[in-house]
Amino acid sequence: MVLQSLPAAAAVAVFGSLYGAAARAYLGAPLTLASSVIVYSGALQFALVALLGAGATLVPLLLTAVVLNLRHLVLGAALRSRFESGPRRRALLAFFLVDETFGFAIAAGNAVEPRAVGATTERTLLVAGLTLWVAWLVGTLVGVLGGGLAAVESVAGAIFPVLFIGLAALAVTRPSHVARAVAAAVLTAAVAVLLPDLRMLAPVIAGVLVALPGRAS
Amino acid sequence: MSALVLLAIALITYGSRAAAVVLLPRPGARFEMILSRIPAAIFASLATATLVGDGGRLADVPVLAAAAGALLASPARSLLLCLIGGAIGYAAGAWLG
Repeated sequence: MVLQSLPAAAAVAVFGSLYGAAARAYLGAPLTLASSVIVYSGALQFALVALLGAGATLVPLLLTAVVLNLRHLVLGAALRSRFESGPRRRALLAFFLVDETFGFAIAAGNAVEPRAVGATTERTLLVAGLTLWVAWLVGTLVGVLGGGLAAVESVAGAIFPVLFIGLAALAVTRPSHVARAVAAAVLTAAVAVLLPDLRMLAPVIAGVLVALPGRAS
Repeated sequence: MSALVLLAIALITYGSRAAAVVLLPRPGARFEMILSRIPAAIFASLATATLVGDGGRLADVPVLAAAAGALLASPARSLLLCLIGGAIGYAAGAWLG
């Protein structure tokens, strides 16, 4: 699992370094590092830096956190039926729920027999989550210390669409899922063009909207 | 931004992650069927969101080519093959671009 998540970890580390370098100017080194330790959300942390750069006050910062985190409710709900452990262990695992680890956990669960889904999903979420978290922290530290990984930003940027396409392929368990995935992609592109302010929310909105039609049995 | 605000943001983030994972009871069969349709759709959407920026601005040619390479490899349903397809696509896109 660690091996499978290495390309994603490398990309996460590169973006962590970009975040560290950008955030240090607004948060200082200690808070920048602390933010990556306790928040662990690239999209949100980059958004916060942009808001701080624009002089945002407390309320917009907190509202942005609420809005950008809404997708976790959907990701968590989609994973919930696969968990078998008690609430304490699920509370620990929840910290590691990010887009990429959600994908790895779903894919790993789809690849095993039904009786092994729970343990495999939980183990994958933990291992992939720890791997990406460490990569994010190391990247942030490199950026805070002035290390330059910006030269490989383009390559790192290419890893995410490739990774998500691969995870989409692994998440398909029925032919109808392909049509729903295509519909969600088209919907997301349309939102990016027509309603750019909602672009960050589009993936989850589109994912939920295309999941609803059809028989639920 | 103070340490207190950062802590509040961290709590909001963790709360959003834990809400469904910890507090939600195991969903029933009908709800589970709907939820099972979400992952592939969300990943397709996330891939699209990394390729199409505000106002429809597309990613750079090598990144688009990498996505095309991964898409071509996706019927194999192998993450490794998608990564290889993406790498080949990126190299081709960089060479052409």
